Amino acid sequence: MGILPVDPRRRRAVGIGLIGMAFAALIAVLPIAAPLASAEPIDPNTADESISIWVRQLQTKEPVPNLSVEVKGDDFDETFTTDAEGRIQVGLPGPGTYTVTVDDSTAPDGVGTLPDAQNPREVSVQATNKGVPANFLFTTADTGSGGATSPSDSASPSSGASDSGSSSGPRGITGGLVASKIVTGIIYGLLLALASIGVSLIYGTTGLNNFAHGELVTFGALMGYLFSSILGLPGVVGILAAVILGGVYGFAQDVVLWKPLRKRGVGLVPLMIVSIGLALATRYIYSFIFGADRLTLPNDPSPFLKIGSVSLRFTDVMGAVVALVVLLLVAFVMLRTRLGKAARAVADNRSLAAASGIDVDFVIRCIWIGGAALAGLSGVLIAYYQSLRWDTGSQILLLIFAAVTLGGLGSAFGALVGSLVISVFMNLSTLFIPDNLKYVAALAVMIVILLVRPQGILGRRERIG
Amino acid sequence: MPKTDVNELIAGPVAPGVPKKNPIVVADGVTRSFGGFTAVNVEHVEIPANAITALIGPNGAGKTTFFNLLTGFDKPNEGRWTFLGQQQYGVPAHKVARRGMVRTFQLTKALNLLSVIDNMLLGAPQRAGERFFASLVPSIWRQQEESLTEKADELLKKFKLDAKREDFAGSLSGGQRKLLEMARALMSDPKMVMLDEPMAGVNPALTQSLLGHILDLKKEGMTVLFVEHDMHVVREIADWVIVMAEGRIVAEGSPDTVMDDPAVIEAYLGAHHDTDLGDVRGQQEIAKDMESDLIKHEIEEEIEEEAADGR
Amino acid sequence: MDFNFIPLAFGEAISPTTAAYALATIGLVVHFGFTGLVNFGQAGFMAIGGYAFVVTSLQFHWPLPFAILATIVCSVIFAFLLGLPTLRLRADYLSIVTIAAAEIVRLSVKTPELTGLTGGATGLNGGAEDFQALNPFPNGQYLGPLHMTASDLWAAICGWALVLLACLLVWALMRSPWGRIVKGIREDEDAVRALGKNVFSYKMQALVLGGVLGGLAGALFILPRSLQPDNYGTQLTFFLYTIMLLGGATTIFGPLLGAAIFWVVLSLSDGLLSLAVTNHILPITSTQQGPIRFIIVGLALMLLVIFRPQGILGKKAEVFFRA
Repeated sequence: MGILPVDPRRRRAVGIGLIGMAFAALIAVLPIAAPLASAEPIDPNTADESISIWVRQLQTKEPVPNLSVEVKGDDFDETFTTDAEGRIQVGLPGPGTYTVTVDDSTAPDGVGTLPDAQNPREVSVQATNKGVPANFLFTTADTGSGGATSPSDSASPSSGASDSGSSSGPRGITGGLVASKIVTGIIYGLLLALASIGVSLIYGTTGLNNFAHGELVTFGALMGYLFSSILGLPGVVGILAAVILGGVYGFAQDVVLWKPLRKRGVGLVPLMIVSIGLALATRYIYSFIFGADRLTLPNDPSPFLKIGSVSLRFTDVMGAVVALVVLLLVAFVMLRTRLGKAARAVADNRSLAAASGIDVDFVIRCIWIGGAALAGLSGVLIAYYQSLRWDTGSQILLLIFAAVTLGGLGSAFGALVGSLVISVFMNLSTLFIPDNLKYVAALAVMIVILLVRPQGILGRRERIG
Repeated sequence: MPKTDVNELIAGPVAPGVPKKNPIVVADGVTRSFGGFTAVNVEHVEIPANAITALIGPNGAGKTTFFNLLTGFDKPNEGRWTFLGQQQYGVPAHKVARRGMVRTFQLTKALNLLSVIDNMLLGAPQRAGERFFASLVPSIWRQQEESLTEKADELLKKFKLDAKREDFAGSLSGGQRKLLEMARALMSDPKMVMLDEPMAGVNPALTQSLLGHILDLKKEGMTVLFVEHDMHVVREIADWVIVMAEGRIVAEGSPDTVMDDPAVIEAYLGAHHDTDLGDVRGQQEIAKDMESDLIKHEIEEEIEEEAADGR
Repeated sequence: MDFNFIPLAFGEAISPTTAAYALATIGLVVHFGFTGLVNFGQAGFMAIGGYAFVVTSLQFHWPLPFAILATIVCSVIFAFLLGLPTLRLRADYLSIVTIAAAEIVRLSVKTPELTGLTGGATGLNGGAEDFQALNPFPNGQYLGPLHMTASDLWAAICGWALVLLACLLVWALMRSPWGRIVKGIREDEDAVRALGKNVFSYKMQALVLGGVLGGLAGALFILPRSLQPDNYGTQLTFFLYTIMLLGGATTIFGPLLGAAIFWVVLSLSDGLLSLAVTNHILPITSTQQGPIRFIIVGLALMLLVIFRPQGILGKKAEVFFRA
């Protein structure tokens, strides 16, 4: 690899490369704009706020139709009946807290009961929050499975694309089912890869395992929510805001926190603990500001593309396309531009890079900005794909670590491959193990990889020494 | 301590891999490669017992890697070697040390937040108090601890570290840490001491005392193998010199003759392939690295010739 | 205004929960402070201990001593499972593997398929019944303004006795040649290896010891409450790190002091916030109050590492992780 001195004049070229990278990312997200702006959820009342109720049986995943459900708010009290899919869309008069009560005496025999913790449920609806989910799961087991918004649920990648293949009673592994798992796995893997690249490059250049990277992802999702849902601006504005403000956030973090700590020569373990403290504090600041409930971005739920048994929404497809384009751009930047080469040189051997005239601090700053911007994009796309919450990012942090470990720490390309592999593997694992254990499967794979090949699939053995 | 005569060491004509009369280490076919790069490829080498052997060679010759292999800190791709007649391939590092082969490191590994005396006691092969449950009953290990402390204090006095006994090892100077590392290694009464660049970063005032300590090791019946770049040091204390280049043993011999061996000259020149040999400063750099009078002389002649041609 | 929360908050300093946190932190001090093992999965050890204790006593009806034995044995097994593969790897790998393993434990025990055994996501109730059957204190309120119940008092006494026992054990180990070796490993494991010590074995011993203390802490933790899988999330481990760094990572009594201060401060701030919110002094809702304690902990963790890595009881010169 070439050794790349960066003198002040060349700095500008590097800066342009970086700005180019950010803008390219922005341009790539433009196509998603137009349809989102006009998209309204299917809602009989075309109200600004709505609740989306879905009642199912936990073990069979079958919907429970013809149930009577009461929705009660400050100036609102109405009773509805679930449709054949077990769903109800409820238009609301305005934001507020609504109590949703399922009358389980009207439930058919054999579906079991609703755990008390689930029913009745308080649903907090913010201004312009459409389709706020209120999911109910009947269970035949004596003790319930907890609320539908349990953390393991939110880690599930397939909640965006509806996957009709897996809802059949006894599980038979069909080709179509496998294909649908692979498709949803690849889409989620691409979104995961956007977040993983930052983790990998920050590790590669500074040695830091950044436990606060999940919060950069959440930040992007929340910015999307702030601009699209609260301020009602078009979807593309929210996505652009997530990328730009994400980059600004990464820049600010490096200026205020990480660079001063590097200058003080703080060791890697204390740095790791600092990042944990930062993650804890920011995560709960998000919760303080945005509340603890699951939030959704305005989205058109109608199917846009059908691949086998998977029906994808417009945003699912565009999200994957945007992620792919941006990842290609990142690959270009890493392989062809001065900045990318300098970054790889720093990741390879920091002191050698510094000795050969590379401005290591500048490269690291760029990595923070770029990595945080990519994490922001990942966050907002994941929010479109599933939904978001104050802890969306921290739920996938270990998944990111798994992906990065799998691909080889410090390698951007490895992060992409690792993300795809871990996501597809996780989705396919649900063919054999219960849905809620797929996260466990992903983590177990990471541990096995560390044992067998600690340098990851693509990493070089020497990095380990 | 007088130098051991070369003829008392070797049992054959001087050449790479020459058999020794009384070898303590015998290695055969030891190779270690990283990726595609072969760092060590030693066909045969014997280290003479109760002598001071220097391992020299240009940067990247594989000296430290060879050290790591012999002491169990790295695993070879292939190879066999014996220490005191015992097979030692695949023996983990801590067992190598227990057999009596202890080493120091190029970058000194003083245990910074342990006191100097604790550093010393850690060097002792103390069986009783180091077991989990036995450590909870002081009466089991107290007596052994006391006698080891006495021994440690004697060594500290000898190495002039007794004044620092209670200080954190981290507060010592670079040279003092080298001394501490050597003293600590001696706590286990080793048969062979392997020193990786013992003089690196040591200020000149301490160099003589370190050299004295190394000579004392031989006097006490130990074998010393050390890696060193400073040829003055090698000349002063080594009985035998082994030269490595590009992973191989390219020459062996007495310190006075080995640097004039053509293979050695070639090795050092080869290591400087990136240096501009047409440039006088580049050649002087090589000369300085080798500290060979012969090559210095040759280069000087060459410079003179060039100057004549240019005129 | 009701200021009753103030004595209650100070009462937290001696509550059984605080004892459990202190005990788990002592385990962490053995791992991190003395041996240098970056264990980010102490919550996993606590979960293993808590589940082993409750499941054996409640589901299998084992008598108390056997349930405690099961707690210890399961913690040892978990430590071996974690340590065998990872202790040869670099320190930051251990951190990721331990945090992942802790999450694997939490997600596995809460899976609906195991509901019959572990209670699934809702957990199990009444794990402390056998323990409380031995309670010598008659029902009533104790310790004056603290209003401690008899069962809490019994749990607190046994808990703190266990904590002191653990302190004694760790103190005895750390002044012995065994302790010298693990501290040496923390400084530089290659150097210790070069001196003929079996580094892997000592790291494993330390991992097991700290893990068993964590497991016992897990059992102690459920005495005043029911067993809930989501209590053992990653934030529990990081609470323990905050406590450890607060008291001093290389001190024996640091965890006790750290845990006491940690819980008093959190309870005081909770009480003050509630007071301010209910009296409309602060413009926040009562649901916004919950996150504040976590924000405090997160900031405290960062500030401690950066500005006072030695904690309250430690000495600046003894900070082994340079900050």
